[in-house]
Amino acid sequence: MIPSINLKPLHWHPYITPVDVEQATPAQLDAMKVTPSNKKISEYVRTLVHDPESYTARTGLFNAIMYVEGGLDRADRELGALGASIVNGCRYCAVVHARRHAQLAESDAVVSAIYFDRADVLGERDAAIYHFARRLSVTPSEATPDDIAALRAVGMNDQEIIDLIHAIAIFGWANRLMHVLGHADLNK
Amino acid sequence: MSDVIDQAAGLTPEEALYQTRRLRPEFVEGAEACRLSVLTPEDDQGLSADLRLALAQRMAVLNGDAPLQHDYQAQLAALNPSEALLALAAGGIVSEEPLATITRHADRVTQQPIQATEHHIRLLEQAGLSNPQIIALSELIAFVNFQTRVATGLRLMRSA
Repeated sequence: MIPSINLKPLHWHPYITPVDVEQATPAQLDAMKVTPSNKKISEYVRTLVHDPESYTARTGLFNAIMYVEGGLDRADRELGALGASIVNGCRYCAVVHARRHAQLAESDAVVSAIYFDRADVLGERDAAIYHFARRLSVTPSEATPDDIAALRAVGMNDQEIIDLIHAIAIFGWANRLMHVLGHADLNK
Repeated sequence: MSDVIDQAAGLTPEEALYQTRRLRPEFVEGAEACRLSVLTPEDDQGLSADLRLALAQRMAVLNGDAPLQHDYQAQLAALNPSEALLALAAGGIVSEEPLATITRHADRVTQQPIQATEHHIRLLEQAGLSNPQIIALSELIAFVNFQTRVATGLRLMRSA
């Protein structure tokens, strides 16, 4: 019996000074969607908005990949994100998306198995998703056609597999921001 | 209309997978908007288009992605790049600063992001990069690693 993991939310702290809302350029204010009623902007947003064009484009793509309706179950997208975040060493992203997986799945069995290094007990579908996420996240990729065959064998159609590829790939992106540009701990 | 990811994955409009990819127009259009935002932004923050393309080509090489490598190589060639940038792009050793520090950072974050520490951001600062440049560079590195994974995944779907 694998114990239940207790994952406390982490706080992220940037290595560079975030943009000060009072001194932000019009492009930065626009990207942050600062309004008189919305002045509290997170450190994460204020750090990345140093480059407002890429911030705006990436945020739109990220939200589509993780939240768009239909297609792959949201919990499965979170599992792809978790696999990528573990390979890429982003503790902050891993905890956020492990917690979200547990909420959506209404069970922490999958994330507990992963955190206690017991991926061998995952069900067939979760195992297929998790192993593909890990292998696609390595540089260069170690994923093979067998990984795709395993996803199809558990009933995933091509649209769902495309959704999964994007969820893994966008964490190849997000992890390279969050882990590289800051660190995470329990302190506010 | 075909885009860079279709071309890298070898997808043509006649293929079912090309059409399936279009079931997610947000992903197709979003990835293209991101590509433009990191390669040819309106405000390049002082990181020139040829430097961006050279780094992108190098990261495609590190990811073992020959089609994307060739795509970046062709775009770079059109800009008459310096010898130093051509060497950087091809995966060679770079000695002049700040290119050397930028290149080492791009290599590390592409290959082993888990090893990145605060020290590596300080090295970028010491090489003269501003905060906007550090962020723009980070987004470029991260984008290419996203793009190669989407292309790789689609190629695997075609061959499985």
